[in-house]
Amino acid sequence: MAEQFIGKASEFKDGDRQIVRIGEDEIGIFRHEGQYYAYSNFCLHQGGPACEGLTIANVEERLRPDKTSMGLHFTDSMNFVCPWHGYEYDMKTGCHVKDKSIKLRKYDVVTKGNDVYVVA
Amino acid sequence: MSSPRTVTAKASAKTSRAAKKSASDEGMSRADKVNFISAMMDGLPSKDAPAKTRTEKVARKASANKPLKVEILRKISAPVIVATPSNALSDEARKFAAAIEDKVASGDFDALTPEAVQALMTALCKFYSCNVEAGNKFAVVKDRHSITGTDAMITCGALLKAVDLQVFELGMWQSWSGL
Repeated sequence: MAEQFIGKASEFKDGDRQIVRIGEDEIGIFRHEGQYYAYSNFCLHQGGPACEGLTIANVEERLRPDKTSMGLHFTDSMNFVCPWHGYEYDMKTGCHVKDKSIKLRKYDVVTKGNDVYVVA
Repeated sequence: MSSPRTVTAKASAKTSRAAKKSASDEGMSRADKVNFISAMMDGLPSKDAPAKTRTEKVARKASANKPLKVEILRKISAPVIVATPSNALSDEARKFAAAIEDKVASGDFDALTPEAVQALMTALCKFYSCNVEAGNKFAVVKDRHSITGTDAMITCGALLKAVDLQVFELGMWQSWSGL
């Protein structure tokens, strides 16, 4: 595992994404709320481009104490959705939102000054 | 009576002891010992295949440490939000919208009467469609996370029902008008 240079931090705005091929791996790098997250771009469902779909906040249904619904609401946590069949992964962990045992391979991202590296 | 597995294990141990004994007794050099152990571990090279030279081993090690090729495939930029100058009515509308959002978040769904909601929906519906028809197109909600898909479908369905339109008529009109 070595640090691979993937770009300048100044070129990454919040909400930007970059898909890179490092050797045999295809990796999606996200910048979200000032942090970098990198995951394998191969969806665990059928190998779709997991990191290239919609980014959307997590939806939860709030309930009253008597279990009646207060409607659906977006939470603060952000997810990304595979464009092929809608597998949805948590931006911070890479876990599937429903089944935490389904987890994309995560790569460490290191910044050194203005340079961004992925450890792969 | 010993099982075949026990017999094999005993034979293997005996061979190993004999090998160690012969290696230590004959005053072998360190290199010879290393070669002997390598041969024990990997087997002897066949006569056809030449033994790996040190140069080949170093070359293979060097290629393993060689940096991987990094290729940027795609860059996906965050959507750009262009702010427009505000005015007094817009500021007031934003404050009112924030107050309604607070009521929704707290579960107080009776904060506005149905008549008040109807008046607001009617005014906003007219205002938005007038802008779009005049060529001033903008997204109807701020971003993808402003309303859920369920919110959108309930409201769209209710609006269509209010004017007695079917979904296929909406699709037909969109294909004709291009709006």
